[in-house]
Amino acid sequence: MSTLTDHGDPAAGVALHKAFPAFTREPVVYRGDVTVHVDVGHEIDVIRHAKDKLGYAMFMDRFGADRGEEAEPRFDVITILYNLKTDKRLHVCLTLPGPDPETPTLIPVFRGANWFEREIYDMYGVRFAGHPDLRRILMHESFPDFPLRREYPVEGRGSHQAPRRALGGTRDAVDGHVAVNFIPSVPPEAGPDAEAGGESVPPGGHVPPGSKP
Amino acid sequence: MSDARTLDVEIDEDRHSEHMLLNMGPQHPSTHGVLRLILELDGEEVVKAEPVIGYLHRSKEKIGENMSYHKFIPYTDRLDYLAPLANNVAYAVACEKLMGIEAPPRAQAIRVICAELARISAHLLGLGAYAMDLGAMTVFLWTFRERETIYTLIERICGARFTTSHTRIGGLATDLPDDFIPLLEAFVKAFPGRCDEYEAMLSRNKIWVKRTQGIGIISAEQALAFGLTGPNLRASGVDYDLRKAHPYCGYEQYEFDVPIGSVGDCYDRYLCRVGEMRESAKILRQVIDTLPGGPILNRDERVLKSVFPEKEKVLTNMESLIHQFMVATESINAPPGEVWFSAENPKGELGFFLRSEGGLSPTRLRIRGPSFANLQILPELLPGHMVADVMAILGSIDFVMGECDR
Repeated sequence: MSTLTDHGDPAAGVALHKAFPAFTREPVVYRGDVTVHVDVGHEIDVIRHAKDKLGYAMFMDRFGADRGEEAEPRFDVITILYNLKTDKRLHVCLTLPGPDPETPTLIPVFRGANWFEREIYDMYGVRFAGHPDLRRILMHESFPDFPLRREYPVEGRGSHQAPRRALGGTRDAVDGHVAVNFIPSVPPEAGPDAEAGGESVPPGGHVPPGSKP
Repeated sequence: MSDARTLDVEIDEDRHSEHMLLNMGPQHPSTHGVLRLILELDGEEVVKAEPVIGYLHRSKEKIGENMSYHKFIPYTDRLDYLAPLANNVAYAVACEKLMGIEAPPRAQAIRVICAELARISAHLLGLGAYAMDLGAMTVFLWTFRERETIYTLIERICGARFTTSHTRIGGLATDLPDDFIPLLEAFVKAFPGRCDEYEAMLSRNKIWVKRTQGIGIISAEQALAFGLTGPNLRASGVDYDLRKAHPYCGYEQYEFDVPIGSVGDCYDRYLCRVGEMRESAKILRQVIDTLPGGPILNRDERVLKSVFPEKEKVLTNMESLIHQFMVATESINAPPGEVWFSAENPKGELGFFLRSEGGLSPTRLRIRGPSFANLQILPELLPGHMVADVMAILGSIDFVMGECDR
């Protein structure tokens, strides 16, 4: 039977740690996956070393993770690299303090990090210094939150800019589009808005507890 | 009167017209979904291309962090919606890696059947749509003939044609029906002949060759820098197939070749896909010959706890009723840790990263959709090509927005 626990190379993790003993932790091995934790400010050098010296020349993935509001440091940026010669994978994990994390971009080492970093910015609000085009990528340009942060509710925070009550529509602040609701499904005076005292209610009518509209 | 052919017309090669912005998509037949391209054109030539994605974003990662491991399986159907069975397999193996369990041999062999049928089906659609975009309508109709057969087979496996949700953590939802193997055998026997038909229509077709050879060349260095995977990477000459590099589900038992390209152009990507379909048929042939018996679900205590008992027992046996209630309200309790698992899907490497702090749901579920990385190369690849070549390049990259936008 195939084994799922030989995907990483612990020796490479140790070699990477030996090359930067001051800025990296001992590699963590779980189910054969090798993760090297690296200090803020040294991620790019460590990944460049793994690429040029250890042969991890294939960029596989770069994504964020949130340890929760209470955790400090809070945000992880995990990069997955692949070595085509040894067929092994290496995870490099950078942990950034919240709530406004920033770190240099990986684009000078791997051009392919571009969209992946845009996605991390989009979802967690991690800013990448030196990124040429750090805009939202999956969410709408004017979306106000970072939805994969733990405190963001899975139901969402309601409709942020849909002008539900204004039949004439309002002007979108970002791209100048005018949204017009031609056929309101609920008349304004009889709808849930009237009872809620004019509070904006998301289209589903459900306001998650404790959320700000 | 003068001969038109000898008219002396001066053409200033350096003259550049004003650039024009052309918005292609998100509703455009050749973008195969909701990809939007903002093309800056100098005449017919693309000067700058900017893909705009996110139109199909359904926040799957957020959803996955708020439900139990099992409940996420139907969401994986809708990642690469042309190969739902392959997504199911990849996600189930990722969860199994986190939990440290393994599916029994029969389940693994059936998973290989599922993954390879999905691969053939996805490549058939990719090839058909690719050919249709370049004007070869017949190929599209022919590939759909075979896709219909495959969908009938998939319906026999799990009752659904499209949204299969067939795997379970530690095994499968259902075993193969008795009449499945003869049907699959007939398909595997006929399929190489069908591939010959497609190749007869395209491989030496003058129009096809002119429109694809030398167009959209991706070098191996570019492919690696952008994280391209799957046939797009192999067409650029990089020998990387996860079924060989890190065999899962028992792929090491089967003999098959991995087609590799030499140029990295649209034509190579086409050849690699047709070659892969032939190899998939070979794998299916070997699975039929070696299909082991036995259970289809791991008897691990944690897995048993997470699978619904037989309906008849639920109605007659109190323990089974309690069991059903427990399964419906809670699920597998994963150990704390984080794993990454990726599978060789039709479009490339579909990766799942699961971080668990213990408990019933992951605290981070990352999905690495291969199409996301594959599309990222467009701004570098498209400039210098004609607008009509854009269709050829998009068709040859064969992306699916479901897993790109997630």
